[in-house]
Amino acid sequence: MIWQYILRRLLAALPVLFGILLVTFALARLIPGDPCRAILGEKATQEVCDRFIEQHGLNRPIPVQFGIYLQEIARGDFGSSIRYGLPITRLLIERLPTTIELSLAALFVSILIGIPLGVLSAVKHNSWIDVLTMLWANIGVSMPVFWLGLILAYVFSLLLKDTPFWLPPSGRLSAGMISTPFYEVWGWSLPESGVLPGLARFLSNLYILNALLTRNWALLKDAIQHLILPAMALGTIPMALIARMTRSSMLEVLGQDYVRTARAKGLPYRVVVLKHAFRNALLPVSTVIGLSLGSLLGGAVLTETIFGFSGVGRTLYDAITARDYGIVQAFTVVIAIFFVIINLLVDISYAYLDPRIRLD
Amino acid sequence: MKAKILSLLGVLVIASLVLAACAPKTPVATQPPATQAPATQAPATQAPTAAPTEAPTETPTPVPPLATYDGKSLSVPDCDYGGEFKSIEATDKYTVTFTLCRPDPAFLSKIAFSVFGILPKEWIEKTAGPDKRTTEGLEKPVGTGPYMLKEWKRGDSIVFVKNPDYWNKDAVIGADTLIFRWQSESAARLNELKAGTVDGIDNVGPADFEAVRSDPNLQLVVRPALNVFYIGMVNTVAPFDNQKVRQALAMGIDRKRIVDSFYPAGSEVATHFTPCAIPNGCVGQPWYDFDPAKAKQLLAEAGYPDGFKTKIYYRDVVRGYLPEPGRVAEEIQAQLKQNLNIDAEIVVMESGAFIEAASAGKLDGLYLLGWGADYPHITNFLDYHFGKDTQQFGKIPPEIYEPLIQGAQIADAEQAKPYYEQANNAIREFVPMIPVAHGGSATAYRADVQNPQASPLSNELFAFSRPGDRNTFVWMQNAEPISLFCADESDGESLRACEQVIESLYSYEINGTAVKPALAESCEPNADLTVWVCKLRQGVKFHDGSELDAEDVVATFNMGLNPASPTHVGNSNLWDYYSYLWGLMEKK
Repeated sequence: MIWQYILRRLLAALPVLFGILLVTFALARLIPGDPCRAILGEKATQEVCDRFIEQHGLNRPIPVQFGIYLQEIARGDFGSSIRYGLPITRLLIERLPTTIELSLAALFVSILIGIPLGVLSAVKHNSWIDVLTMLWANIGVSMPVFWLGLILAYVFSLLLKDTPFWLPPSGRLSAGMISTPFYEVWGWSLPESGVLPGLARFLSNLYILNALLTRNWALLKDAIQHLILPAMALGTIPMALIARMTRSSMLEVLGQDYVRTARAKGLPYRVVVLKHAFRNALLPVSTVIGLSLGSLLGGAVLTETIFGFSGVGRTLYDAITARDYGIVQAFTVVIAIFFVIINLLVDISYAYLDPRIRLD
Repeated sequence: MKAKILSLLGVLVIASLVLAACAPKTPVATQPPATQAPATQAPATQAPTAAPTEAPTETPTPVPPLATYDGKSLSVPDCDYGGEFKSIEATDKYTVTFTLCRPDPAFLSKIAFSVFGILPKEWIEKTAGPDKRTTEGLEKPVGTGPYMLKEWKRGDSIVFVKNPDYWNKDAVIGADTLIFRWQSESAARLNELKAGTVDGIDNVGPADFEAVRSDPNLQLVVRPALNVFYIGMVNTVAPFDNQKVRQALAMGIDRKRIVDSFYPAGSEVATHFTPCAIPNGCVGQPWYDFDPAKAKQLLAEAGYPDGFKTKIYYRDVVRGYLPEPGRVAEEIQAQLKQNLNIDAEIVVMESGAFIEAASAGKLDGLYLLGWGADYPHITNFLDYHFGKDTQQFGKIPPEIYEPLIQGAQIADAEQAKPYYEQANNAIREFVPMIPVAHGGSATAYRADVQNPQASPLSNELFAFSRPGDRNTFVWMQNAEPISLFCADESDGESLRACEQVIESLYSYEINGTAVKPALAESCEPNADLTVWVCKLRQGVKFHDGSELDAEDVVATFNMGLNPASPTHVGNSNLWDYYSYLWGLMEKK
């Protein structure tokens, strides 16, 4: 039953993805300006630009370009980046892990702090703890990530310099720290192309995972140190959202009859809150978490910029300004795929959290 | 119902994708444009490459060969193709003779550019893929420079290590390891420097100059400006067809106020179109002083006592020569109204359309544009903008372009000085545009870095700096290089990385623009500057252990200039600078 449901959802997602492809393709070409001079600079001669336009097939009718693009996608080939001259699949393998690691870390921070704060706030409803927590949550939602990132870097990298609390201001690793891929450490020799070698390279670019697999504790420490500030900056808004959603959801559940019944039969308040109310309150929170993860994966542009992470958001932003159509299309589709998968997982999690829900 | 329809659509999408995947692959980059001769039409001297009945293949369209290359010499039959080189020959193992189609006083300045860095012949051949450089060619350059590439971790950093066989034993190689990192935000770069995680950063934010100067742990190095921001106009369009109007505008705009208000420290009010760091750039009379009374008088004499209406065109793109385009446009608009009673409407244009219209002289008002040096020679500024055929400012009078033609026949800057003096004075007299500013920038280093650099050409060579007592020098620039095959790159971030590894026949002095011998011990011209004989340094080794000789030089230029050569494959395959500065050896 559940497999049928997943298959149907995935099939239903395909027209959506096709629509996204079509819209992205059209929008990328509607960006005003000449892609040649956007990429090569204003001094590019007409002769060079003519060659550029021809090389990249940009002189063909747009429907023909779209047809060729679809044909390549169907072959599993995202094409090459106009700017870097590299296969886009390779760029995805290099840059997607950066964003995944950062997003998961940010989500971890936001769940770890947001849910307990929300529960605490609901349990201590209308107390000074509740007021303070919600005030903080409101500030967190309103704080610009750009500003917060710079302030965090200033405090932890400059003010706390030469203390044990010092944290690096940007980058994924310290200068000179090398993350040797696990397959090299294990003595594997990977072919240049292929799905499995690509997957291995992808996984090795998740530095924390790679450090664990290679038992390189210095690398692990360095990677985590570099992840803390960006995760805090990126995780603040979802943390505030999760805290507010947890609070309101908990308040609603705590006011229901079965909670009162549980209390009346003498169960300790802690057990009522954590065992009876919390699980039911998690339903809307899981939606917020899912949507937050989707946004984090696609929208970490500012955090990636401030902290010097070459991730999906940053690459996409650079590609838009440089009219690198291939990257814009491929990365947008990948982000859309993430949203589809995350939404599916959220829906499946409903059935787990509330057994009364049937996936149909 | 809705779910069923979506599922059905999904099945249809899959089916159409499967069909698309099974269709024959359509060539994109390899297909000739509609205007090109059919691929099967071979040059008269060649046998047909394919029978007419054969199905089309994906083989790249053969470029009609123009140049002849035999390993020792690259030549074209005549100069009709419009480029600069007639031939490049290895006249003996360590001598290369460049024969030019026309005199070029900037030959040494151009040849010193890192795009024309010398690569080993075998490596050039080995890394030439069928339609572009191999990954090794794009990411692991082999040169003769003080550093060798160890690892490029895309998205993270590039690590270089010291070249133990570096030929220049007098050079101070400051650190055993050099690391390049990147960060687009100036505030974040400065945080890294202050935190001590990097030794030097590029492009300090204009607002941070004073903060860096006042920090005892840091040092600021101002980069001499090698650019110009100017207010352009077309002298065939009324009222700018009147010389007095143009002179009135030149005197009626307070350029110092613009520089003081909107430019970072280190910027200068332009006294001439060409920056003074370039030989002969500032010879001749300096530009007009701000004199609104005299400007009004000139405007009245021209028949516009009450001013006139015009437009100010610009593109909203930040450049070193124009850091705040919008605010500068508003300032000029306000000054024109206040000083000359001219009503100017501001028009923001899309960048590409703006450049195209400005270059063709199609803008009917004032426009804000600038120029950064490609190579440090006055011809790169004056000849490009004020040559006989330039359309950008309307018609250029012979008083300007004739001395430029004469100056371009002379290699020695001192001998050419009188001609550039004439040209600069004529530019001042005829006012084809108003030079406003040379925009400055700066690098910053930790205080203990010795010989800190801020090259006007942005080509800092870190082998000549020492990072205190540390053994690793960490440099943070604005962006990641695109590739390290710099013969086919044009962005400064890529070129700076290449310059640590690859060297040209000549090089630029540290923190300056003068040229000095590098892989060549000397390059001497004949009397009319059409033949340059370069004597190579002996005993220089590439990082792969091979020895530099004249054939490497010829092979490098064959790779860049000769589109018919199988080695003429790069990253973008556009060969921007080879095409722009020398001209590719292909039939027009």
